[in-house]
Amino acid sequence: MKNLLFGILSLIALAPAAAGAPSAPAKSVLPFISDDYTKALAQARARKLPLFIEAWAPW
Amino acid sequence: MKAFVFTDPSIARHAGRFVWLEIDTEKAKNATFRRQFPVQALPTFFIVDPLDEQVAIRWVGGMNLGQLDRLLTGDPLAAKRRGRGIDARLAHADSVYGTGDNAAAATAYQAVLDEAPENWPGYARTVEALLYALSQTDAPEKCVAIAAQALPRLKGQPASGSAAAYGLDCAISLPATHPDRGRRITEFELAAREVLADTTLEIAADDRSGLYIALLGARSDARDSIGSRALAREWASFLEREAARARTPDQRAVFDPHRLSAYLEIGEPERAIPMLEQTQRDFPADYNPPARLAVAYQGLKRWPEALAASDSAMARAYGPRKLRIYDVRIDIQAAALDSTVAKRTLEEAIQYAEALPAGQRSESTIASFRKKLARFR
Repeated sequence: MKNLLFGILSLIALAPAAAGAPSAPAKSVLPFISDDYTKALAQARARKLPLFIEAWAPW
Repeated sequence: MKAFVFTDPSIARHAGRFVWLEIDTEKAKNATFRRQFPVQALPTFFIVDPLDEQVAIRWVGGMNLGQLDRLLTGDPLAAKRRGRGIDARLAHADSVYGTGDNAAAATAYQAVLDEAPENWPGYARTVEALLYALSQTDAPEKCVAIAAQALPRLKGQPASGSAAAYGLDCAISLPATHPDRGRRITEFELAAREVLADTTLEIAADDRSGLYIALLGARSDARDSIGSRALAREWASFLEREAARARTPDQRAVFDPHRLSAYLEIGEPERAIPMLEQTQRDFPADYNPPARLAVAYQGLKRWPEALAASDSAMARAYGPRKLRIYDVRIDIQAAALDSTVAKRTLEEAIQYAEALPAGQRSESTIASFRKKLARFR
């Protein structure tokens, strides 16, 4: 069953890891903080907002 | 999601209602996060209560715009904090799911469904989570029963695609001696076909692609090579149409890995090369295009080009994903050079795998590399 899951789910997360690339990835309309859980948690506590987390991989 | 959903202006209205965090699970610095929030499949989304850092909602897999909008609308922490009612039970099940204990999560989701009123709006999300949890706990019979029950209820909804795909995959996983195995596979194949034929369903192209994969699993199970080949051709054509509709290079590149799989399936890996070269030009820092080119050249037995592409991917790769690139490289070296070189690379891969931090280190991957090494001795 895991093969199917990999198949379905791997495609979705694909966004080119493109630092310095000619084509920058399309910009999110949401103000994502990158790779800093501590900072995001502190902001969420200070602003009394829920924390939305996307766990992804560049493949 | 990054290429198609998070870029859509219609969801900008939610920007100020959450603090948004993206975690690249391949980066070593995020290993601590992975220990706190187990991630078994990508992407996984969490809505976390910042007061106690407990998961209020966990969603495994992609979402289309409508699904994301529904998830974000309202107060996603209210049910968890209220602590009673069906939505609070769902929040509890989500928090169990968030710990990665799929067996306990399946029990909790089943309890939610048992209590849910008719036409409860949380049904589709709950049943999808239950099916995922069951698919990870080796419970194919239960998974088949839930999927079969859910399909008529989900008719006309995007979640019908997941129910058909999980149902089909679980049916294939039933023991060969199970009396309903053949009948169930046929039923779910038909359901998956119906979902694919319904172009009005708001199902993301990548989820439709997942249905093709499930259907290929059934054809392979039936040892139907002609049917598999025909289906893979249909899959490749579908993906090519979707890629042609992409508005940006990263939208087009989303389809690269499945197109490569489809081309390999039909025995024409050369068709992947122009597509991957284009993505490589668009995103020269990305390790994925050369890693996939290595696989395509491997399929063609064009060893010097396969090794050059592998060199390029290795130079850019990081995190646990690098192990997959190592794995392909070892096979290429064993075929193109000699087993001494391949063995050296395999030893290097084991060292790399063992050095990954907890949260990224995979004992099963290390074991499979060690098994491979034993074959070189």
